[in-house]
Amino acid sequence: MKRVYLGEFEELVLLIVAMLGDDAYGVKITHDIIQQTNRSVRLNQVHASLNRLEDKGMIISKVGDPTAERGGRRKRIFTITVFGQQTLKEMKEVRAHLWSLLPSALKIVAG
Amino acid sequence: MKKNFKPTPPRLATLLLRWYCAPHLAEEIEGDLQEEFEYQLKNNGRLHARLDYIRSVIGFLQPFAIQKKKSHSSNPFTMSMLRHYFICALRNVVRQKSFSAINIVGLALGMTCCLFIFLWAQDEKAVDNFHANGKKLYVLYQTTTSGEHVNGAYSTPYLLTYQTLNIKKREEAAAVGINELKSFVPEAEKMTSYATGYELPWGHSETFQVGEKKQKFDGSRAGKDFFMMLDYMIVAGDAKDALHDISSIAISRKMAGFFFSSPQEAIGKSIRYENKIDFVVNAVFENVSAQSSLSFDFLINWDSQMKQLEGASPYSLTIFQLTELADVNHVEKELNLFLQSRMDKNDPEKITVGLIPYGDRYLYSSFENGKPKEGRMIYVRIFTGVAIFILIIACINFMNLATARSIKRAKEVGVRKVVGSSRFNLIGQFFGESLLLSFIAILVSVILVQILLPLFNDLAGKKIDSPISLPSYWTALIALASFTGLIAGSYPALYLSTLKPARILKGAWRFANSAIWFRKSLVVFQFALSIALVIATIVVSNQTRFVQNTNLGYDRDNLVYLTLEGKLNPRYALFKERALKMPGIAMVDRSTEMPHAMGFVVDETDGLKNTNTGDDAIKWEGKENASVGFKPASVGFDFIKIMNLKVAEGRDFSKSFATDSADAFMVNEEAVKQMGMRNPIGKWISAWAKKGHIIGILKDYHTNTLREPIKPLIIDVKEYEYFGVVIVKLEAGKTKDGLASLETVCKEINPNYPFAFQFLDQEYDKLYRNEKIITKLTNIFAVLGIAISCLGLLGLVMFAAEQRTKEFGIRKVLGATVANIVNLLSKEFLMLIILSFLIAAPFAGYFMHQWLQGFAYKIELSWWIFALAGASALVIALLQFQFRQFNRQW
Repeated sequence: MKRVYLGEFEELVLLIVAMLGDDAYGVKITHDIIQQTNRSVRLNQVHASLNRLEDKGMIISKVGDPTAERGGRRKRIFTITVFGQQTLKEMKEVRAHLWSLLPSALKIVAG
Repeated sequence: MKKNFKPTPPRLATLLLRWYCAPHLAEEIEGDLQEEFEYQLKNNGRLHARLDYIRSVIGFLQPFAIQKKKSHSSNPFTMSMLRHYFICALRNVVRQKSFSAINIVGLALGMTCCLFIFLWAQDEKAVDNFHANGKKLYVLYQTTTSGEHVNGAYSTPYLLTYQTLNIKKREEAAAVGINELKSFVPEAEKMTSYATGYELPWGHSETFQVGEKKQKFDGSRAGKDFFMMLDYMIVAGDAKDALHDISSIAISRKMAGFFFSSPQEAIGKSIRYENKIDFVVNAVFENVSAQSSLSFDFLINWDSQMKQLEGASPYSLTIFQLTELADVNHVEKELNLFLQSRMDKNDPEKITVGLIPYGDRYLYSSFENGKPKEGRMIYVRIFTGVAIFILIIACINFMNLATARSIKRAKEVGVRKVVGSSRFNLIGQFFGESLLLSFIAILVSVILVQILLPLFNDLAGKKIDSPISLPSYWTALIALASFTGLIAGSYPALYLSTLKPARILKGAWRFANSAIWFRKSLVVFQFALSIALVIATIVVSNQTRFVQNTNLGYDRDNLVYLTLEGKLNPRYALFKERALKMPGIAMVDRSTEMPHAMGFVVDETDGLKNTNTGDDAIKWEGKENASVGFKPASVGFDFIKIMNLKVAEGRDFSKSFATDSADAFMVNEEAVKQMGMRNPIGKWISAWAKKGHIIGILKDYHTNTLREPIKPLIIDVKEYEYFGVVIVKLEAGKTKDGLASLETVCKEINPNYPFAFQFLDQEYDKLYRNEKIITKLTNIFAVLGIAISCLGLLGLVMFAAEQRTKEFGIRKVLGATVANIVNLLSKEFLMLIILSFLIAAPFAGYFMHQWLQGFAYKIELSWWIFALAGASALVIALLQFQFRQFNRQW
């Protein structure tokens, strides 16, 4: 299988998309990242990332409902694909495996 | 709570977003941004929200969000269309190799010309403009009014400096201090004087010595604030006390390098000046660059000039640094008030002063009515004008050739129109083509400039660095190429695009009369410019040759100058005796002035008080308040012989008359005329408080350049005057021996000074440096102008031949020979050239007449100059015309 790599930030965005379920769109994702990780993130970075994820087939998008606060414009709602979920899972497993290989002393310090 | 005015995102940013954003993302992104804006508005306030919005819009300028050109747009200028135009243009260039070559070569030549001239003009304008507080620096000029004479000069009135050439008046010497001046002129922050040692014609380097090392350097004197006002970089020592007292000297890196191991090493060391005075080196400055009009290897404190040095140049500058907000007109008034307070009210001679920005002094080098006037600036303007003309000639070529080709292109235009091209598209296409050619041309000329720059520097006496690394140069290049492309492409673009497709495709299309006339007038204009340039070339080079070959009335071959310095004056007699015994030396004599360039005039309104009153004034039998500007010189007994001057009346100085060294004067014919004397021999005359009699009249000879008329001359014998030059005549053909002998004798008689000499004829030629440069430049321009114009004519001939192929075919069938047809065509074009000659001749004549006014002795603007220029244009055109025609296979 052709491996698809995810950047650190992309992984974060993907996780948030998965977490938000049906409510994952640009502004919401941005605010959630800021809330959960305390990183300063800008809307355009998130958009760029979402675009790349969509290109890689990790997420798909559909057009949502217009709301008043958006000046009557529609949202684009992102949902994670099976391939995306699989990638996340694989990455988690690889990490867990690597963690288990750490010398025990460091494991205590880190964890 | 509802407000009347609801804050909205910045409108411009939204427009920018809509402009660049890909349509399928636009709604989503705009929506998100709007939502974010509302959020920020609620939490962080309006300003923050707006700034954040702008930042985000700019942040979205990323490949994924930007609209691709390929998107389904109805804009005709799509990528593929542009590519098509580009390919068409390239194909056209390649297919018609000779046309393209003519175009590119013509444009490249014109552009190269332009680039060089702009570089030169920039360099001229940059002179003296590198000082950081340049905006606050002003230089003084004085206007002297005496009766009808009004003179102007960048020299400081003696009333402000009390500078005097007269040793006896040394006690009176004093300069106005800045503190004294400040009470009159509160806006003056700083001031400094500046003067070279001796100005030309005496101009000579001064000798310095450290230990056993001796060398001559050129330098000046300046006030103690000099380095604080002007940006001459100090490499060692401190600008503040570089010239703080009478014993201070500042030297250049070059001079420091000669005497000391390093600039730092030089500080505090003593250096001996003219074997008389010891100065202490207080500062070392970077070698003065070519962009400074003042050039010096050392600077001595001004007080030292006033108190202990020999007379410096009377043309001393005074430079002011004014406060930021000073009103120059007001300062001028204050300065004049100050001057009036020191002036003698009864003096018939009135002096006023004015200020001009220091950086303008170099270009505004001459004076009119006592006010600075563009001197060198005129050359900058003329040459810029010529450069633009040459470029226009090249552009006209392009237009002519493009229209000539348009016969072929017309069908293309027709087809394009039928297929649906609008006029706008066609204009774009033709402009695109001309821009492509002009950019190729500019690339060629950039390379040419790069290659030819050293040659050009040599020619113009400049030190221009290659500007290839300057961004401003590239901006200028792009501007020049675009400008040329647009001008050159304008006619074909605007004309060809108007053609009616139906008529073209039916083959019923011909050029309208107006179009033909337009093209012919372009050729006339082109040739008129070229002929004018040729006339200018002939006049300038003839005048220069005239100047160099005119019989000046004396012999300037094999004459060598030595500066009278050190022991050379006290031991002059011994020197002469020894030198005459050595091989290669024919004659030795002396003069207080360099005979080829006598600049000093007494009794004239030059603002130097001490030359026209008191002891120095020249009086003669029968003088009644007449004012005659005399050039005075004191010479040795053999002066007349060594210079080979002709005595018109009376006799030469001679040692056999005991009275000659005390009583004898010789004057020239002009002096006799101006003094209004009859039977002058034996009449008394007095100069420098020395009264004597006229023993002989010299035939008039030129004592300076041919720019000035011959002036009255008065000479007497004084073999003891402490300044001036020794003149040595070498035997013809034995120059090397003679110089070696001179060096031996000099080393022996005057050991404390290095041996240095100048050839009179070379010094004389140097006075015409400007004329020589102009000669060379006009030569080049004329050749270029003619060459480019001929290219243009060639284009027109090709055009005519193509247009009338059928006509010529019929003529030939009916029995015409090739020669008949060539004659037929020639006649038409000859008329054009004659017409352009008629336009050019009066213009060129007028301008060259103006230029010649600068010379007192000048060539006539005779008819043959014009005839020659016209004929050469005609012959060149005809030759290439014939050549071209016979080449064609008819």
